[in-house]
Amino acid sequence: MRELLRFLIKYHFILLFLILEITGIVFLVQNNTYQKAQFVTITHSLAGRCAQKFAIVRDYLSLYQENRQLTEENNNLYNMVKSLVSINYGDQVYGIDTVSRLKYVYIGSRVLNNSANKQFNYITLDKGKKDGIMPDMAVVCNEGIVGVVKEVSDNFSSVISFLNRNLKLSAKLKKTGHFGSLEWTGTGHTKASLKDIPHNINVKKGDTVVTSGYSAMFPEGYMIGVVSDVELKGGNYYDIRVLLSTDFKNLRNVQVVKNIYREEQLGLENKNGND
Amino acid sequence: MIRGFTGYIVAFFLVVAIQVLIFNNIQLSGFIVPYIYVLFLLLLPFDTPGWVLLLTGFLLGFFIDVFADTLGMHTIATTFIAFSRPYVLNLIAPREGYETGTKPRVSYYGLVWFVKYSGILVFIHHLLLFYIEVFRFGGFFSTLLRVIVSSLITLLLIIISQFFIFRK
Repeated sequence: MRELLRFLIKYHFILLFLILEITGIVFLVQNNTYQKAQFVTITHSLAGRCAQKFAIVRDYLSLYQENRQLTEENNNLYNMVKSLVSINYGDQVYGIDTVSRLKYVYIGSRVLNNSANKQFNYITLDKGKKDGIMPDMAVVCNEGIVGVVKEVSDNFSSVISFLNRNLKLSAKLKKTGHFGSLEWTGTGHTKASLKDIPHNINVKKGDTVVTSGYSAMFPEGYMIGVVSDVELKGGNYYDIRVLLSTDFKNLRNVQVVKNIYREEQLGLENKNGND
Repeated sequence: MIRGFTGYIVAFFLVVAIQVLIFNNIQLSGFIVPYIYVLFLLLLPFDTPGWVLLLTGFLLGFFIDVFADTLGMHTIATTFIAFSRPYVLNLIAPREGYETGTKPRVSYYGLVWFVKYSGILVFIHHLLLFYIEVFRFGGFFSTLLRVIVSSLITLLLIIISQFFIFRK
């Protein structure tokens, strides 16, 4: 003990110096934003460069999948065109005028920004007014519905995602044709609930739900999803759970649907509105 | 001037205030900042006990850091020169040693001695401070240039201040 004390007294100058200096270094490292920021900058730029490389590899690896998807789509379209262009009645072949009956025009677009984890999700597309997109147009993708255009600028448009508590759509059961109102449940990115389907009709798990076409936005019969759960809640209506066919977490290419006769249809309908 | 302990306390805060309010806002040609506050450590009497010296250095740096929002940088540099002051004094001691009752001033030991004494300490201080500030060895020589130029200007200011404060 005495030795220790003697040691402390003898070397107090150096010891005190070391203690104070170490305190200073602790201050420096813990409190200085610049020194901390410089450290963080270096690690971030490294991480960012890695992420960029990974993204390139990932894009390349998914080429196969994307290719197959495109081929499939191409086949479908090809079949559709074939069935449209000519119908055989015995010996006679009737050509169909595809242009004058055209009701919807599809404008292909890419998703720039998307979210699926909020209560009010929005999607940004890379096409806008210049490409003929107007508010209230429907947005669909190959798998199913996506949302409704809300705002447009010259080159971009903002879409209310179906995963938004503000959006309600008119949907119907493909089998029976009964229609109801479809709405996101607010949890997860795959679940929606279909209401106002009367309880006297037969609904089963696995039934297909499609758009009704009543809103003059979505074309009729466009795939929405399948029934995953049917519940009879007290009243006269079912509460139907629908599993959405669109993968909202993986949206890339979407189509904006332009209804050529929308103005005409709404104009006519509005005449009744005053009654 | 106020003599003794109180005098040093007043001088301490005066030096901190001058540094923080005036010299921290002067940036000659963008990157040269004179840190004249080390003057206080240089002027402490010869017989100041080691621990007082170290604590003074620590507190002086700490105060400057608090006002300049650079916690740690000045503290490390000033604590280090407080530590090295006795060794520097030994190194440049006149042949007959320091007489009792004298202080480290130009008036007692002459301009050459004072320039040597403060030059060494100011340079050590600035060297540590500037390298801690940039926190890397990239651009080593540009930092070294800043250290040298800033040291020279600080030294110049310290010497000028000697003639203003301690006129005989």
